[in-house]
Order: sequence, then C-alpha cells, then structure tokens
Amino acid sequence: MRKYLIKLARIMVFILLAGITFGGLSSCQSNKKLAKKQAEAAYNIKVQQAKKDLIAMLNGTTDWTMDEQFKRLDTIKSYNIDDQQVKDLIVKVEDKLTTEKAEAERKAEEERLRKEEAAKKQAELAKFNVINERFAGIAHAGSYDEADKEISLALNFFATPDVPVLIIIDQVDGVNDYDRPTTAFRFLNYLKDIKSYNFAVESVKRNTEGKITELELIKK
Amino acid sequence: MKNITYSILFLLGILMVLPAAAQEPLNPQRKQAVDSLALEKVRDLSKYITIIGSKDTPWSEANRVIDRAEELFMQGSEIGVSSLLRPQIAYYGVRKYFERLMRLNYSKVEIQWYKIDYVSDLQRQPDGTYVGVITVFQKFKGYNKEGRLVYQDTTKKDITVYVKRKETQIGGRLVGFWDVLLGDMRVKETQK
Repeated sequence: MRKYLIKLARIMVFILLAGITFGGLSSCQSNKKLAKKQAEAAYNIKVQQAKKDLIAMLNGTTDWTMDEQFKRLDTIKSYNIDDQQVKDLIVKVEDKLTTEKAEAERKAEEERLRKEEAAKKQAELAKFNVINERFAGIAHAGSYDEADKEISLALNFFATPDVPVLIIIDQVDGVNDYDRPTTAFRFLNYLKDIKSYNFAVESVKRNTEGKITELELIKK
Repeated sequence: MKNITYSILFLLGILMVLPAAAQEPLNPQRKQAVDSLALEKVRDLSKYITIIGSKDTPWSEANRVIDRAEELFMQGSEIGVSSLLRPQIAYYGVRKYFERLMRLNYSKVEIQWYKIDYVSDLQRQPDGTYVGVITVFQKFKGYNKEGRLVYQDTTKKDITVYVKRKETQIGGRLVGFWDVLLGDMRVKETQK
C-alpha cells in the first residue's frame, strides 16, 4: 500500500511538473505573438507616417524648413523601410529637396550679389553727389550772375570746357541710348537756361589730375 | 571666276538684307524714349523762346540762347508768324525769327507754350529717319511801357520733328545716339 502511495505521489509530481512546463510554454508563446503583433503595428504606423510625411514634402504642403525636411528624410531613410512606395517617394523627395536647395542657394547668391552691386552703386553715387549738387545749383540759381558763378565753379571739375558730356536717354539690355553728345560748357549753360536738373551722374572718366575727361549722365 | 561669283552672291545677299534691317521697328521701350526725347527738345525750344522774347534777358544771353535754339533746327527750316492784325502768315528762317522775337516792339513780352504733344506719331521713313509732328499752343502777351497789355493771342503751331540714329567717335569709341532736329514750325490757327 505504501509502495502504491509513493508511486501515486510521483505521478502527481510528474503531472504537476508537466502542467507547469506546458502551461508556461503556452503563455510564453502567446506573449511573443502579442509582442510581434505590437511590433508589426508600430512598424505599420511608422511606415504610414513616413509615407504621409514624404507625400507632404513632395507636395510642398509641410511647414517644415528645408533643414527640417532634410532631417526628416534622413530619419525615414535610416528606418530602411522595405516598401516600394516609400522607396520611390524617398527618391522623389530627395530629388525635389536637392533641387529646391540648389535653387534657394542660387537665389540667395543672386540676392547677395544684387545687394553688393546696389551698395557699390550707392557708394559710387555718393561719390558723384558733389557734382550733382553743383549742377543742380546752376539750374536753381536765382539770376544769370549767380548761375554764371556756379558754372565757373562747376567747370573746375572738368579738364577743359570741351569735355564730352553724354546723356543716356534709355538703357535696353545693357546698351545705352544717348541724346546728341554735348560739351561740359554747353551742358552747364543748358542747365542755366532750362532751370531744372533732371539728371544724375552715371559715370565719369578722369585724368591723372582727377579732372573729368568724360561725363556720362542719365535722365531721371 | 568662282571667287567673283561668290563675291557677287555675297553682295546680293547684303543688298537683300540691308533694307530689311533698315525697316526693323524700334522696340516699345526704345520708341518711348525717342518719343520723349523729341518732346523734350520742343520743351527746350519753348524755354529758349521765352528767354529770347523776355525783355529782362541781357542782350548777350539772348544771343547765346539764339545760337542754342538755332541748333535745335534742321538747316533751312522756317517758322511761321501770325497776328490777329493781319490775315497772312509770314514765314522766316529760324535765325531771323529769333532775332525778330528778341527785338519785338513791346516793353514786356510773355510767351508761354502749353499742350505740347504729338499730333502725328514718329513714323520711320525709308532712309531710317523717324518723322513726326508735335503740336503746341503758344500764348503771347505784349505790354507797353506803362505796363498795359496791348496785344495778346493764342496760336496753335505744328512742328515737324526728325529723329535719326547716328554715331560719333568719343574717347576712341563709337557712340550711337539719337539726333533730334526740328523742321518747319507752321501756324495752324490764331485766336484772341
């Protein structure tokens, strides 16, 4: 009888152990399945978000800056998503962003050059202010004597009274159209007669003494 | 022989191309600039006429301005003079007109030009010259030594303008310019 009881106890222990073993295994398997499902869901969300972001970047409907878009594109690329649509979108977006970046850089360079040119021109114009003011002084003189005094002073700018004066009436495609050329003396007297100065000095050529040897004006 | 043939063909080609180039119209921006330049010359003339006619202008200044005003005209141009006191219109050479204007028998003269505008747009001629007509209205007032207005009229005048593209050497380079010259100034009507 005792022998029988011992055998029974062993069988019970065995059943218990088997129960524990098989029960635990089954629980582990369902946990793995759950984890796999969760991972798959997370991956799908990631893929869908990547597609959404790529399409937005492609259509230009995102508020991101150029740098933020490149950062997001790099992040998406780092996912190594094995999806043909995502791969195609990455190629297109990368192409678009690269083109846009190059265009933005070109525009920025153009703007920089334009500002540089404008500053240079402004500096040049400032250099001509003295001449422009003297010419305006002739035009606005109150009497013939006053105008003649202004003309004498203005003539000091020139190498001779016969220095050619060119008046630009129009600029088309970088080519100047001129009025009939005149001389410094005649031009200064013209200002006295017409009593208005609607010009600006465009360029001057000077001799070694700094005197003007050719003057180019533009109509304002 | 072959060279001569090629030369003849080349010359013929040039002769065929040249008239076409001469007919090439001005682009609108350039046309506007040339139109404005011609109007500007007429406005300059109006200021010269005011200076020459004014009794306040020193004699030497008036003569200098006559020289400048004369340069605005083509050689041989004539200027019409009308009066409410006689039916006929007298035409004078440019210089003579200005000299008469300077010596008008009034103590004070006021001349004002207004409504200066094209009546006929600049049209390209076969020789490349652009020709147009600009109309002006001139208000003339003559006063006696007591300062009383003794004569006044308003005259409508048509001025023919000629604009031609020319080139000249300046500082060793060829400079293209538009040469505007005024032609006859005809009286169209005179009113009080």
